[in-house]
Amino acid sequence: MTPLLSVEALRVDVARGAGVRILEDVSFSLSSGEAVGVLGASGSGKTTLALAMLGLLPPTLVARGSVHFEGHEVLSASRGARRAVRGRRCSIVFQEPLTALNPRMRVVDQVAEVALAHGERDGRRARDAAVQMMERVGLANAAAQAARLPHELSGGERQRVLLAMALLLEPALLIADEPTSALDVTVQAQVLQVLRAQQRERGMSLLMVSHDLGVLAVLCSRVLVLHEGRLVEDAPTRQLLETPAHPFTRAIVAAVRRMERPA
Amino acid sequence: MAASTWHRLRHDGAARGAAFVLGAVAAAALLAPWLSPFDPTAQPDPVALRLLSPSWAHLFGTDPFSRDVLSRVLHGARVSLGVAAGAMLLSVTLGAALGALAAVVGGWVDAAIGGLVDVLIAMPRLLVVIALVATFGTLSPWWLVALIGGSGWLTTARIVRAEFRDHLQREYVLAARALGATRWRIVWRHLLPAVAPQVAVAAALAFAAVIPLEAALSFVGLGIQPPLPSWGNILLDGTDYLTTAWWLVLAPVAAVSGTVGAALVLADRLRAAIADEEREA
Amino acid sequence: MFGRLLSRLTHAAAVCAVVAVAVFALLQSAPGDPFALALEGADVPAAVRAEWRARYGLDQPPAAQFVRWAGALARGDFGYSTSRRQPVAAVVSEAFPRTLVLVGTALVLGFAAGVWIALVQTRHHRRWPDRAFSMVTLAGVALPEFLLALLAMTWLGARWGLFPVAGVGSLGDAAAWPLWLRAVDFLWHLALPASVLSLAVASRVARHQRAALLSVMREDYVRTARAKGLGEWQVIRRHALPNAIGPVIALLGLALPSLVGGAVLIERVFGWPGMGLTLFEALLARDYPLVLAAVLLATVFAVVARTLTEFIADVVAPRRPQAT
Repeated sequence: MTPLLSVEALRVDVARGAGVRILEDVSFSLSSGEAVGVLGASGSGKTTLALAMLGLLPPTLVARGSVHFEGHEVLSASRGARRAVRGRRCSIVFQEPLTALNPRMRVVDQVAEVALAHGERDGRRARDAAVQMMERVGLANAAAQAARLPHELSGGERQRVLLAMALLLEPALLIADEPTSALDVTVQAQVLQVLRAQQRERGMSLLMVSHDLGVLAVLCSRVLVLHEGRLVEDAPTRQLLETPAHPFTRAIVAAVRRMERPA
Repeated sequence: MAASTWHRLRHDGAARGAAFVLGAVAAAALLAPWLSPFDPTAQPDPVALRLLSPSWAHLFGTDPFSRDVLSRVLHGARVSLGVAAGAMLLSVTLGAALGALAAVVGGWVDAAIGGLVDVLIAMPRLLVVIALVATFGTLSPWWLVALIGGSGWLTTARIVRAEFRDHLQREYVLAARALGATRWRIVWRHLLPAVAPQVAVAAALAFAAVIPLEAALSFVGLGIQPPLPSWGNILLDGTDYLTTAWWLVLAPVAAVSGTVGAALVLADRLRAAIADEEREA
Repeated sequence: MFGRLLSRLTHAAAVCAVVAVAVFALLQSAPGDPFALALEGADVPAAVRAEWRARYGLDQPPAAQFVRWAGALARGDFGYSTSRRQPVAAVVSEAFPRTLVLVGTALVLGFAAGVWIALVQTRHHRRWPDRAFSMVTLAGVALPEFLLALLAMTWLGARWGLFPVAGVGSLGDAAAWPLWLRAVDFLWHLALPASVLSLAVASRVARHQRAALLSVMREDYVRTARAKGLGEWQVIRRHALPNAIGPVIALLGLALPSLVGGAVLIERVFGWPGMGLTLFEALLARDYPLVLAAVLLATVFAVVARTLTEFIADVVAPRRPQAT
């Protein structure tokens, strides 16, 4: 079976900074229904990797290599073709839920916009679907919250709005870029729960990027380790935790162990 | 910090082009007596030589009084640029002084200067100057400099006040104070150099605002009086002959807009250099 | 919201009051008094002169005169125009609406055009449409309005004869013509002065709007909008513009005084008989009451328009609590 997403020899450079490389020769693949984590410290190129999957890199970065999604090449695709995939077949949830939402638009409109961007013509139907999805991802009192502006919601509520936006059209792949690191620990657990439930129910694939091995271990069956722009390890989560191969991974696993069993 | 802002500016193509244009205009003004082919005020033959179209002898043609337009535009640059430079220096100095005073002294001084700025900024500057000129009669160029310069300090004052207040909170100023430096010594040694790039932006903008103001005043007959040429009154001489003598309008328009455009580009690039500097810091 | 509106109104009223005092001071220091031209020189006995001055309060101390003058102003009495030989209020009530039409048209057209240009520039950032429009808007800012007016008049008006070069109408006996023809004639005369002033407005708006849009385009929510699969136009129009237009409206308010100054000169160039042309004719005739009334009214107009713009900016872009 061909994988849902396969990345081959992906390199990302700063367009004008001679020789500044952010990602170096990254290859991996992800099959349908699989949940894969990407572990890396800040500055390791995690977010760049997530953005490259959707062809969303800022114009200051240049990507080479190949990103295949559902049998189509993303990097060389036309703008129209990329747009048709974004939000419908492949969605992304960003780290900082406040800045990721338009401060001047009601949240329900921001969620409904995904449907309207992909062929839905009836605004009311789009908004109804948006409210339903916000309920499904656990936004309490969704009908009333829908008409609010982002700054009127709490951090956890905003992250659920972003989730609803990403899941509205039932994409085949969800990319989550540190979806919980801006949240309190309790809210973090709730959001992870929602993610896991949605992923299992729909057989959706998940590519989750984080610096937190604990978070990845909850959801992902396999973890890729990104270190200074290179993929240094690709192993099932359990194996990674028990016998980490790369020194960087070993250091992280050791740190997690220390935290779990305080001396 | 400021030094590297200038360094950035020196390697910016657009800024260099603008500086070159300004330099060329200034050189033309300074060298006008030697560059001009004719005496700008001589009227050799007001009948046979009037309103000649551009030719090799008269590159920009002649005006209704048979004077050579090129010579008048070159000499006009002396007057127009001189008035503009004087007014710009006056307004920037005044603005920097008042802005610094407001920020450093604070209290009622700050409130008074702020109130004055708020009121004056709401008035059309051209109309204020026109009303003053109309009341006091025709002005000498020196009074013109005083009037135009005296009405243009608002922007500089606002910028300097805001920058000073920002810098007064920073640690290096607190450190200098802790070491026993007096307030005015800190202003002179630390704050003024730190806000110099911003003041330079304000100066370029002030210059870009003053050139058209002088031209407008002279154009309506309230500024520089003939026979002394300025870009504005050359235009005034041309307005009655638009159908026949387009060259009377084109040369001064090109001079004014080229100078203003160069000053605006310089201000723009300087602002961009400051922004880059702060982003990287 | 109402607190801000109230403080803006107070500010506007304060500015108008200061301008009124300044104008009065100028009137006082102007050579001669309103009767100088009419009464001096002629064989008017000193007693008659004194009587007239007493009747109009000119023999009283300045403060009393100011109260009298301000009271008259409040009743709409701006004094008597010596050159037009009619009350200043009558001259103004004819000229002011024409200036309002000119400036209003230029503001609306110029603002719309400026925002549109900035949208196109943002859409095609660093490609040729962006560069071409940047050149145009730089020229529009660098060319003072009255010079552009002179150029337009020289070529489009005088040399090619496409537009009339002066006035508000060229139908001799206006009342004899049907209304639509009079309207077309008026618009034809309005076209050049309004376009020149619009271009000036559009250039300033476009330069500020472009900078504001480009800075908003770096925001996270713009990336979110792209990730939804929205087209670039929709991203810019629906997400970037609403967040970038507020400061531009406020800036337009700040630029209004200089715009009024530009309009005054444009009227002079095109012979558009509004407040500006009235002002210059009054200057030539040394008609001080009319000169100062024109300056006062133009300033008040600029202040009122600016207050209005700031209020609109408040409504369009209310300040949101900052994220921490």
